[in-house]
Amino acid sequence: MANTIRSRTAPLPRPASSPPPPAAPAGARRAAAPAGPGTAPQPAVARPPAASRPALWRAGPRQVLGVIAAGALGVAALWLSNAPPVTSLGDALTAAANILGLLAGYGVVVLVALMARLPPLERGLGTSQLSRWHGMGGRYVLSVIAAHAVFVTWGYAVSAHVNVLSETASILTTQPDVLMATVGGALLLAVGIVSARAIRRRMSYETWYYLHLYAYLGIALAFAHQFAVGGTFAGSLSNRVFWSVLYGIVAGLVIWYRIITPARRLARHNFRVAGLRQEAPDIMSLYIAGEHLQELRAEPGQFFRWRFLSREHWWQSHPYSLSAVPQPDVLRITVKCRGDGTDALRRVRPGTRVVAEGPYGAFTPAPGRRGVVLIAGGVGITPLRAMFAALPDTVGDRPGGITLIYRASHPRDIVFRRELDGIAATRGVVVHYLTGSRRELGADPLAAASLTRLVPSLHRREAYICGPPGMVDTVIASLRTAGMPRRRIHHESFDF
Amino acid sequence: MRRAILALSSTIAGLVLLLSFKIHIPGSTDAGTTAASGSAAGTGAGSADMAGAGHAGHAGQARREARKARPPHGAATRTVTGTVADTTYGPMQVQLTLAGQSITRVKVLQRTDDGAESDQIDASAIPKLINETLAVQSARINAVSGASYTSAGYRRSLQSALDQAGA
Repeated sequence: MANTIRSRTAPLPRPASSPPPPAAPAGARRAAAPAGPGTAPQPAVARPPAASRPALWRAGPRQVLGVIAAGALGVAALWLSNAPPVTSLGDALTAAANILGLLAGYGVVVLVALMARLPPLERGLGTSQLSRWHGMGGRYVLSVIAAHAVFVTWGYAVSAHVNVLSETASILTTQPDVLMATVGGALLLAVGIVSARAIRRRMSYETWYYLHLYAYLGIALAFAHQFAVGGTFAGSLSNRVFWSVLYGIVAGLVIWYRIITPARRLARHNFRVAGLRQEAPDIMSLYIAGEHLQELRAEPGQFFRWRFLSREHWWQSHPYSLSAVPQPDVLRITVKCRGDGTDALRRVRPGTRVVAEGPYGAFTPAPGRRGVVLIAGGVGITPLRAMFAALPDTVGDRPGGITLIYRASHPRDIVFRRELDGIAATRGVVVHYLTGSRRELGADPLAAASLTRLVPSLHRREAYICGPPGMVDTVIASLRTAGMPRRRIHHESFDF
Repeated sequence: MRRAILALSSTIAGLVLLLSFKIHIPGSTDAGTTAASGSAAGTGAGSADMAGAGHAGHAGQARREARKARPPHGAATRTVTGTVADTTYGPMQVQLTLAGQSITRVKVLQRTDDGAESDQIDASAIPKLINETLAVQSARINAVSGASYTSAGYRRSLQSALDQAGA
């Protein structure tokens, strides 16, 4: 699918598919891109033939949920294979605690795997979907862990005919590794609490990110007690091996895709900042030069996590969408400077090495010949700018088959105006710039009525929306009102 | 909210379903505790000594034993002794009586000997461990609450005995 899109865009004239030259000092650009004359300013001439590449594997939501559910059934079978008969209330409570503990032990593995940056998941479900699932799953697993602790204590207390408090003390002090597991559980709970929406918003992304790493520690601390006290594992070598392999595989995936892959890509592609360009008062484009970039198989609409290796920036990594169709030797991102370290990006020097983690995201054009409407809010134009240039000609064949709507509160916030007009003119498609505040306009230009007026046969198209969360919600509601089915509405907002 | 309710109800349903596979109407539930009070009087070797036959009330357990063991009539009954497992509170050692491959009797030859508290803990824990061993017919047993060292030592000695028996 991706290949079709790529090959179709290849013959497009230069203004549409390749970014204009960066406004970097010539010396700096040379230093940044020693690879030869084919660096940033040159258009992509040699795109590899699409036919030679196998299709990328994309996991669908049903497949992923199916695998997770099958795993849960496996856990149930693991417990059944090895559980003693339940003959009293204490037994029943302890058995329930065992099951819940196994479920939690399995749940944390799933949660980590969802966030392991697995390419089929990233391409198929997309990072925002994965984050949502991870959030929901996280709340569930934390509840299961809490229930496990309650049931263990209660069950043991009933069996031993003592009160719950003294049983708690006895479990913590006498059962091997349980104290450690309790600390681990508390760490996981703390990570869950700082991720609650109200608290997360008050924290910088980095603080939250580094606190989240404690989840790994929590999981590791809780691992030992599963084998030491859990009846399912204590007496069964094969179950222990199975469980260890499960944990080992997921740990391996995390290490491979979150650490080794970015490091290998840094070495292979040699990413460097090639130049910067001011697009609007607070919006800036960065050109990242690299080698063999076609191997990344990045698609318009996708993003990378960028870590600029300068003294000021190395410790933080930010997700930015590609704002131009990726070229074999240069990528472009466009960033709104709004604090949180993004402001400091203005001071990144050309030549700075960059770790690029990606490509991620499922916000890419769906296959098909359906007309398309792209709706951007503010700096949300970036992935849509890349898509606008890359949508297959089959879509644009019909007059008005592609429409871009670009909403900004002030005309000076509009970026890429010249590029967008160029693409629109070349391809015979339409761009609408909607500027001005709602008060000035007298109505919300993104309301259903206004969109229907702007876009012919709106409800029959495929929609791609990118912008701040509030704007995305408004547009989704408008499109639904206009009669567009949910599955044809694709959206991305900046909240992960 | 709807999702939360769905998650909660399906978890509970799953739990109940799983437990229902293992639940048996308590007929001889108190065998363990009775044996515990009985054996509390004795100390040292041979304090807890129970036969599997006493637990036939557990339907599933009986089925399990039948399935696992399927002892041929007149199968040789043999006795294997596990190695001594040292724990922080003293040694644990078990002796098994097997008919064919099935464990029919567990005898504790040595048990922790770290004073009155040790005795008390073992007195209540060992019968449970033995019950579970006879039920599960392996060393795959849960630790008994408040008797983790006893349980661990018991399990080790039991495993070594089973290893010797080739069970």
